[in-house]
Amino acid sequence: MNSGTPYRPGPIVPPEAAPLKALTVTMAVMCYLACLAIGALILIDRAVESWTGGLSREVTVQVRPVQNADVEAEIAKAEALIESFPGIKAIQTLDRATAAKLLEPWLGSGKLDDLPIPRLIRVTIDEGAPPDYAALGDALKAKVKGASLDTHKRWQAELTRMARALSTLSFAVLFLICVSAVATVIFATRTVLDANREVVDVLHLVGARDRYISRQIDGRFLKTGLWGGLIGVALGLLTFFLLGLTGTAGAGGVADASRSLLFAPPDTAIWNYGILLAVPFAATLISLVTSRMILIRMLRAMP
Amino acid sequence: MLRLESVGLRYGQGPEILKDVNFSLESGDFCFLTGPSGAGKTSLLCLLFLALRPSRGLIRLFGEDVAVLDRPGLALLRRRIGVVFQEFRLLDHLTTYDNVALPLRVAGRREASYRADVMDLLSWVGLADQAHAYPPVLSGGEKQRAAIARAVIAKPELLLADEPTGNVDPALARRLLHLFVELNRLGTTVLLATHDAKLIAQAGAPVMHLEHGELRAA
Repeated sequence: MNSGTPYRPGPIVPPEAAPLKALTVTMAVMCYLACLAIGALILIDRAVESWTGGLSREVTVQVRPVQNADVEAEIAKAEALIESFPGIKAIQTLDRATAAKLLEPWLGSGKLDDLPIPRLIRVTIDEGAPPDYAALGDALKAKVKGASLDTHKRWQAELTRMARALSTLSFAVLFLICVSAVATVIFATRTVLDANREVVDVLHLVGARDRYISRQIDGRFLKTGLWGGLIGVALGLLTFFLLGLTGTAGAGGVADASRSLLFAPPDTAIWNYGILLAVPFAATLISLVTSRMILIRMLRAMP
Repeated sequence: MLRLESVGLRYGQGPEILKDVNFSLESGDFCFLTGPSGAGKTSLLCLLFLALRPSRGLIRLFGEDVAVLDRPGLALLRRRIGVVFQEFRLLDHLTTYDNVALPLRVAGRREASYRADVMDLLSWVGLADQAHAYPPVLSGGEKQRAAIARAVIAKPELLLADEPTGNVDPALARRLLHLFVELNRLGTTVLLATHDAKLIAQAGAPVMHLEHGELRAA
């Protein structure tokens, strides 16, 4: 060996540690699933925000035809009453034909002229200073025959409950993925250490400190976690991309949701991609911290 | 340098392998440890290079009570000891050069700073041509020499060797003994466990005899 030639000493831990290859694949699968769960969480959050936002911006007044009352006159009374309340931005009364069309899915498209079809008034409210719903409801009941106010509170509550259930489910899936990742890394660390027991023993006996030995092993787990994470996230993004391609645009299904996740406006996209790209770093951290803890415990069992 | 007082060792709940071992080595001593197979020589050496903890008794190394030292302290103590294992314990995925340089690398030395020393030592033990060879392709004698080179590369204050000439021919055994004597002259305390009566006779150093776990001067 020439003293002037640069020489790089061989790696202290053998590079072809087979259990680490299996761990890379497992971490990639875990990160892929984590990516899907996080994507689902983001989409649920956005959808609920959009639905509840729409519902809370509007209320509906229903005027049912009652005996001895002219429904059109009652509607006019209702419109005047609603407009007299502060916090109302706009009102729009659906004509009889539109109201009948809304009932078509249940009653069919036959002749509905003889049926007493309830009429609807869509009321857009000022979200910053909404009207007094209780007073409006009471006034409508007292002054307009057959009128009632629907503030959509029940629908909002239902939607919020459903969204919470789906979010909890997604968080539970994420938690289980993390637990599985930790358990897998524990198993892999033990396997790697068993496979390299002689290396660890010799290093220990020639005076290596625990920190030095764990640094040699850490490097491998760092690479494994990062690679597994990057592969998993790449596959996750590819899945959302393919889902975005498969459906019809504007149909409001999974395809639209996937597209909205990938091609969101810049301010939202930063968050979407930021959270998804945090997955490889979380995987690396889990891999590194778990392996370090197991390794230190094993080294402390040595004299 | 090294003192053992009433040291006993047992594995788990088994019988005592070493019983009331008392001896001391001063700095610069050269001593042989003999005894039949199974007498406890390897176990005694394991205690001395801190691979085992005694079941009872006191071990003082370089003036320190090893029972009260923390882990980093024990690691630093191990760096002052060179060990030749009976079964060599070379790392198969590292070249002979990297195996020999391992204690220096662990101590934080840069490769360029120790390259000349390692190559000189490899030449001295006749392994210069095998610097890039991996242990699986070395003969038993070559592995033995590589293991010895690794034990002495960091110029340890205490050298412990378990059958260091067991796999080499008489001529090389004499050469290796000469290396140990030279190291001893430079101040390294040497304790060699061996069955080789010729080697003991050539060195003319004191001998401790271990039998049934009990130590006595031969």
